Amino acid sequence: MNKLINAAWLAACGSALALTMSVSTASANDWPTDDVRLVVPYAPGGTTDVLARRVADLLQDELDANVIVENRPGAGSTVATARLARGGRDADHTILMASPGHTIGAAIYPDLTYDPVEDFLFIQNIIDIPNVMVVPANSPYNSVLEFVEAAKEQNMAFSHSGVGSSIHMSGELFKNLTETNMTSVPFAGSGAALPALLGGDVQVSFENMPTVYSHIRSGDLRALAVTSAERSEYLPDVPTMAEIGEHNLDQFVTTAWFGLIAHNSFSQEAHEAMQEALAAVMQREEFLDFAEQLGAEPGQVAGEEFKQFIAEEVERWDAVAEQAGIRQ
Amino acid sequence: MEIFSEVLHIFLSLDNFLAIAVGVVIGVVVGSIPGLTATMAVALALPFTFSMQPVAAILLLVGIYKGGMYGGSITAILIRTPGSPANACTLLDGYPMAQQGHAKKALKMSLYSSCIADFISNIALIFFAAYLAKLALSFGAPEFFWLICFSLTIIISLASGSMIKGLLAALMGILLSMVGLDVVYGSQRLTFGNYNLMDTISFIPLLIGLFALPEIMEFYRKKALPHLKTKASGVGVTLAEMKRSMKSIVRGSLIGVIIGAIPGTGATAAAFISYSDARRRSPNKANFGKGEVEGVAAAEAGNNGVAGATMIPLLSLGIPGDVITAIILGAFMVHGLSPGPIMFQENLPLIYALFIGIMFSSVLLLVVGNMAIKYFSVIADIPKSILFPIVLMFCVYGAYAVNNDTFDIWLMLAFGVLGYIFNRAAIPAAPFLIGFILGPMFEDNLRRSLLIGSNDLSIFVRGPITWFFIALTAGSILLAIYRYVMAQRMARRAADTSQEAS
Repeated sequence: MNKLINAAWLAACGSALALTMSVSTASANDWPTDDVRLVVPYAPGGTTDVLARRVADLLQDELDANVIVENRPGAGSTVATARLARGGRDADHTILMASPGHTIGAAIYPDLTYDPVEDFLFIQNIIDIPNVMVVPANSPYNSVLEFVEAAKEQNMAFSHSGVGSSIHMSGELFKNLTETNMTSVPFAGSGAALPALLGGDVQVSFENMPTVYSHIRSGDLRALAVTSAERSEYLPDVPTMAEIGEHNLDQFVTTAWFGLIAHNSFSQEAHEAMQEALAAVMQREEFLDFAEQLGAEPGQVAGEEFKQFIAEEVERWDAVAEQAGIRQ
Repeated sequence: MEIFSEVLHIFLSLDNFLAIAVGVVIGVVVGSIPGLTATMAVALALPFTFSMQPVAAILLLVGIYKGGMYGGSITAILIRTPGSPANACTLLDGYPMAQQGHAKKALKMSLYSSCIADFISNIALIFFAAYLAKLALSFGAPEFFWLICFSLTIIISLASGSMIKGLLAALMGILLSMVGLDVVYGSQRLTFGNYNLMDTISFIPLLIGLFALPEIMEFYRKKALPHLKTKASGVGVTLAEMKRSMKSIVRGSLIGVIIGAIPGTGATAAAFISYSDARRRSPNKANFGKGEVEGVAAAEAGNNGVAGATMIPLLSLGIPGDVITAIILGAFMVHGLSPGPIMFQENLPLIYALFIGIMFSSVLLLVVGNMAIKYFSVIADIPKSILFPIVLMFCVYGAYAVNNDTFDIWLMLAFGVLGYIFNRAAIPAAPFLIGFILGPMFEDNLRRSLLIGSNDLSIFVRGPITWFFIALTAGSILLAIYRYVMAQRMARRAADTSQEAS
């Protein structure tokens, strides 16, 4: 028992020492002067969480400081985002992994206490994941046009991972643009939604690429189109929605994006340090491998450009939510 | 033969054994602390696996998962606070046993039953994954709907004492489960504009409040409990008890396997279904809920039976059935593997190495669990006046830790008061819990079926699985009515004969 206590004591001393050392080296570069908190506005598990933990792990090396991931789930991502918008003492060391929930949440949750565009500093878009329009392997539809034609005649059901998810909103956007009959069938997460699609209970879905990629490869699902602006290098034979060229589908360019944001009071110094560190992280082989596994492209926009992108997204989903009647 | 040596080459490394051992230890410890769930531990451990070999990485996470599933039963038995939601059912008999001085017996039974169920679940994963995955795919919303209907009938058997009170509690549970955003339209229900309630009421604060707090309040109301002369922890499980519970353990494990293979039902429901099944069949029916060792066995078999089986849809279909397997899926992806049919073609040796590791984890669970019992059962001997303030502190911390939100502490206190009222009014809390867990599944699948079937009701009788569960549901209700009528008739006859006699 004594040995055990001694070992614990030693370990505690060691980690305390390591902590002071990391703080002292960090203070030479001004920012960060403290541990950095990376807030994940969702519960553990899921793409946002896994991505945040991967990025935090790599950021630690680049920033030479502890990056602590903190899950603050609630009301889509709006509880954590509202808290970030309030600022406070540690606002200069708090960043948040934002995702489509940021812009869609602004469209569907009433009485938000923050402005999704003006109240935040947009640091860097980290990755973009395209959505894929998929049908079961035994589906009679081999192209988007065939599907649209059929959906004008008869009612189709599309599965998604929950009201307000990017998968749901993509389906609603498709329905609006093509003026077809489609029923939204919600599930609790993509894991629960997939069997309904594989089993043929619903006719189509607009799932995130990583969720369905292996099923497309194994032939259980058929990809009709990807929603990104360019064809995905993982599915080079699958056209983009924009390529379809009919039924207003040229306006159907959307990705599940993930990026880091902070409170407006985030200092210039911190912003620069973060951008530099993120640029390094995004070059790292571990990061690129991870992005490849997700079927994702590294993010393209940062700073003002990122903010502009968010503003457009908010406007777009606002219109879709209005039309679909998803607003309280 | 070549594949065999390749599998051994991948598996036989110290890293793998260490990963499983460390995982199981972390799981048991974290699982036993209320508010710290296995889910959280798996998420926190994920970054540490980035730099590990893929097999060791996955085994570490699987070890935590399995350890956590068992660990939660320790505090459920000792202080009436389930470490994880899946262990809520274990306290129904586990805590009364601890109070009667049989803490060690309950803990041991929970461990043995967990390990056996885990083993059976692993066997199912290794040999029947393909069949069970097919079954999972044929489970659409209407099939789910009837499965939940059947599961709801277990309220009848859990409503010990008064049927009216049991149903009342269940309805209250269902009502409270409706708080939050509507799943289809996204509109707010019963949230009173409060953001904290939009994602429904958090389960863990509810659980801690409902079970742990009333016990503490009761203690301070009475001020003193009789001192036990003997050591409270007592002795282990006898061979006869083990033999008696074996059937329930095996049945519970199989229930766990089937529930685990179907994405989205979860270990908590499996534990309750297994428990009520055991109760229905046991000759010691009357003792269930009062400290029946078979009850502990059935509950733990149910939830641990799920642990291996949730890997079935994950590995064979690439579909995570719960949050933990979703995180494990993330770990696979970080290592460049995508679970699903393709992985069985491309990475077969790796999958076999994983299987060996998973089997090994059952054995390790037995070893680590036995050690844990040795130290934890001391808790049963601590005087309540010292223990309860500490428990209260853990309760507050546990409620807060789930979402890092003080609102959850208030929620827990409110449920504490509700639990206390339940205790005083002899309203059973278990049906409340069942209502709260199954209520949303009932509603979601009903509405989902109607959406899929374009409001055509024939979707509810679309195939053999729906018929099977309709028959089970009807049978279960009819049996309950028959028993009720028979009991009434017996009572009347007894009254008549006693009148004649006088």
